[in-house]
Amino acid sequence: MTRTVEEKHKRKIKRRQVLNAAAVGAGLAVGSGLVRGFPTIWAQNIKDIKLVQVGGSYSNIVEIANQATKELGFTVEMQAIDPDAQTNRTLTQPKSIDINDLGTFLLYYFVGRSIVQPIPVSKYKYWDKTLTLFTKGEYADGRKVSTQGTSPMKIQYYDSPEGKKFSTKPTEWLSGIPTMFNADTLGVRPDLIGRTVDSWKELLNPEFKGKAALVNTPSIGVMDVAMALEARGDIKYGDKGNMTKEEIDKTIKIMLDFKKGGHFRAFWTNFDQSVNLMASGEVVIQSMWSPAVTAVRSRGIPCTYVPLKEGYRSWSSILCPMAHLSGMKLDAAIDYMNWHNSGWTGGFVARQGYYSTVPETAKKFLSADEWDYWYDGKPAAVDIKDPYGNLMEKKGQVRDGGSFAERTGKIACWNTLMDENRYLTRRWNEFISG
Amino acid sequence: MKALPRLASWLQVAPVALILVLFFGLPMLVVVTVSFFDYGQGRLYPTFIFDNYVEIFSSSVTLRLYLSSLKFALIVWAVTLLIGFNIAYFLVFHVRTLLWQIGLFLLCTVPFWTSNIIRMISWIPFLGRNGIFNQTLEGAGITSQPLEFLLFSDFAVIVAYVHLFTLFMVVPIFNSMARIDRSLIEAAYDAGAGPWRIFSEIILPLSKTGIALGSIFVITLVMGDFFVVKTMSGGQSASVVSALSNEISAIQYPPAAANAMILVAIVTLMVSGILRLVDIRKELIA
Amino acid sequence: MKQAAGPRPWTFYVFASFFALFVLFLYGPMTVIYILSFQGPTGGLTFPMTGFSFLWFHALVTAERVGDIGGSFQRSIVLAVIVAVLTVVLSVAAGLAFRRRFPGSGVVFYLAIASLIMPGLFVGLGIAVGFQLLGLDIDWYTSALGAQLTWTLPYGLLIMFAVLGRFNRAYEEAATDLGATPWQRMREVVLPILLPGIIGVALFGFTLSYDEFPRTVLTAGTRNTLPLEIWAMTTNVTSPALFAVGTVTTIVSFIAIGAGLISIAVIQRRRTRGTGQPM
Repeated sequence: MTRTVEEKHKRKIKRRQVLNAAAVGAGLAVGSGLVRGFPTIWAQNIKDIKLVQVGGSYSNIVEIANQATKELGFTVEMQAIDPDAQTNRTLTQPKSIDINDLGTFLLYYFVGRSIVQPIPVSKYKYWDKTLTLFTKGEYADGRKVSTQGTSPMKIQYYDSPEGKKFSTKPTEWLSGIPTMFNADTLGVRPDLIGRTVDSWKELLNPEFKGKAALVNTPSIGVMDVAMALEARGDIKYGDKGNMTKEEIDKTIKIMLDFKKGGHFRAFWTNFDQSVNLMASGEVVIQSMWSPAVTAVRSRGIPCTYVPLKEGYRSWSSILCPMAHLSGMKLDAAIDYMNWHNSGWTGGFVARQGYYSTVPETAKKFLSADEWDYWYDGKPAAVDIKDPYGNLMEKKGQVRDGGSFAERTGKIACWNTLMDENRYLTRRWNEFISG
Repeated sequence: MKALPRLASWLQVAPVALILVLFFGLPMLVVVTVSFFDYGQGRLYPTFIFDNYVEIFSSSVTLRLYLSSLKFALIVWAVTLLIGFNIAYFLVFHVRTLLWQIGLFLLCTVPFWTSNIIRMISWIPFLGRNGIFNQTLEGAGITSQPLEFLLFSDFAVIVAYVHLFTLFMVVPIFNSMARIDRSLIEAAYDAGAGPWRIFSEIILPLSKTGIALGSIFVITLVMGDFFVVKTMSGGQSASVVSALSNEISAIQYPPAAANAMILVAIVTLMVSGILRLVDIRKELIA
Repeated sequence: MKQAAGPRPWTFYVFASFFALFVLFLYGPMTVIYILSFQGPTGGLTFPMTGFSFLWFHALVTAERVGDIGGSFQRSIVLAVIVAVLTVVLSVAAGLAFRRRFPGSGVVFYLAIASLIMPGLFVGLGIAVGFQLLGLDIDWYTSALGAQLTWTLPYGLLIMFAVLGRFNRAYEEAATDLGATPWQRMREVVLPILLPGIIGVALFGFTLSYDEFPRTVLTAGTRNTLPLEIWAMTTNVTSPALFAVGTVTTIVSFIAIGAGLISIAVIQRRRTRGTGQPM
């Protein structure tokens, strides 16, 4: 406490000195007709800059902010916020955010409204090292990645420096800097199921009546069910991530039948609920985030993030500078974003199971054993620890789904914002109340 | 002589009125306006259309949501009234010193200083299929199988509501009862009135204001809730506001605003119904 | 205090057991919180306990691993105290105003009722948009304070109705007859009688603010209050530090209440000894 007060005090004094220096400097410049001494003022002023980044608690972590502040010479603050509040706040209070750490698909809400601003490719150092998944929409081996849902390529580029519209072809203007991503699947309790689960259709298997759960978020919940329905052969979707009204109607109707038959134990709204449901055995198969699977396992309860033959539902995050940033603050923001993908953060989030969009920088900040476990899918040579040094996986464990190439090589669809979102929300409300 | 007290009243009420107008009245004008707007993906189109209202009234979901919310409101109201009245009665008429009264009252409030969210989370290990409660029942041989309805059900929602909102019934009833003149009861007692008559002819009528206020609190709280319903029903039930909060999450302000307007109208009608039965302002002026 | 003499009627025991059951019901699920806050370093928010430690209490102060629980906790307490004080002062004043009929009383009354009913998300949204239009910055001590007052003031006002109802004006008139100024009358006659009610209003103001989420979420600006921080954290691994907050608040409140009650008791005893009269 006292230390921060002291620091603030010091900073205040410094700022005053800087202001004096600036006044003197301006006087000199005017007097001599030369604009000199500018760089030194800049160097001192940058310390006073404070950037506020807002986003989910899984990536807006005090430790990351502290490291950035330490390395960059200006202050980075992170505010963890729930995704709904984040969208609403970005729209109603854009100036209360400097850097927006967004679920990629949320950009649809903000494009062309002077809320976020483009970043010229030239200002981002790691674009040529970024996975082609993000720069070209291709896997490393040249295969095209699924475009169902909001695949990164749909929103990665703007068509012009003004950033009014997205471009599906690469341009010189990025909508933001992609940071991390993962491939999501179903979580299961292998001990309670007692056989292999290898298809999404198991989510709707009557065998698990009263023991299945879904996330209570319309676009993700409905997509998990769509994966199951497609695997069962009930419905063939044009694009699971952008359903037509008819597809939504059909899906919701089937979901309602299942719900009325007592198939779903719960529709969870937060992380802990999903962990509790699984850990207590109330539920044996459900939508789940990967750290939740780990959380169940760290309690000594078997839980698997099962690889399924139809593939994964993937998601990615993107950092966007807000439109109100300009001048030195914008420069600082770009500096920060470059720092963000320079490796330290990539290593930090890897230990929570997330992939960096620039894995080769993250690699420098992981031990060889850690890299082998998290990215290469090899059995852990040592005990695997989380970012805080707690035991996560015992020696010998293999990551669910295997290596980076195996897991992210089978992306079936992406988390999304559908064109028919308005209709989907209405039908989802009907589903929950029905 | 007459203008002076009126001026005093105005001055006394001015700060509250000002805050309510600035932070509630004005923002609500915006909400009313928005309820007539058209909308797209996170965008508002400033038009003047009734579609949002038409959609609400023509959807079968609306009625179901209101029935669900009203059902919760009614049950919770009855239970909290029963509990709240008896707790207040105990504190006022059976606890003899002010010190104990305050002490026991505060004892009831302490759990409320732990965040709602945390308390909701704590119910899950308590009521779950393999939770403490079920294990206790099975351990005692009362049940042989875990009771499923304890968690993620309407039952769980009602338990949580009662847990959270009973205090809102206790406080106003306690204050009303505390104002009952003891000499009145003693006089009635001396005149030979039995306990039942004292209760029905003195205590109950004189606690009316508190009961009415407590009812207003509990009913508006339940009608306005989305958090408890979402968490405790495990998403199996919905309420008016939980549907509305889904719309706000999806940046669909116009239909959500229209929904809110209708909700305010309906609940205001319910409140004015209560006020018609018990005019809480009359006793002030007496 | 004539009643105080004599044995207690049998109904006392019935009511006392009912009260005890109610307290048990209130604290029952809380015990889960208290126990799990001593969870071991690798443990989570559910049983089993993986050990016994004070780690999560320590984490509250260091603000590492658990997000800004410590900072948001402090902000929430400060905000709740400000809200409680404002709620008491303003609703007592407004409550007194309603003891006379005055033009506009109905408007204010129904404005308060509507404010009670309006879903909080909208109040917050409306205020956020309003501040944006006026070019004002939102912060927890400006916009969020205003947003929370639209929630606590109606409660305060309505409780004052119960507190002031059937208030015996004879006391006030007697005071006036004895030559008391309006201020003296207020301070020495009216306020002491209203004190228990005022404590009730203050408690409501404090609790309602301390726990407020929907009105605060869009109006708090760049620093979270405790409920916002907790809610944000529930999207990821949440640590037993959340439960530690619950345990700390409970212990602190018990100490505060205990100290308060004991000091009142001591003062009372001294007074009786001073005057040499039995209770």
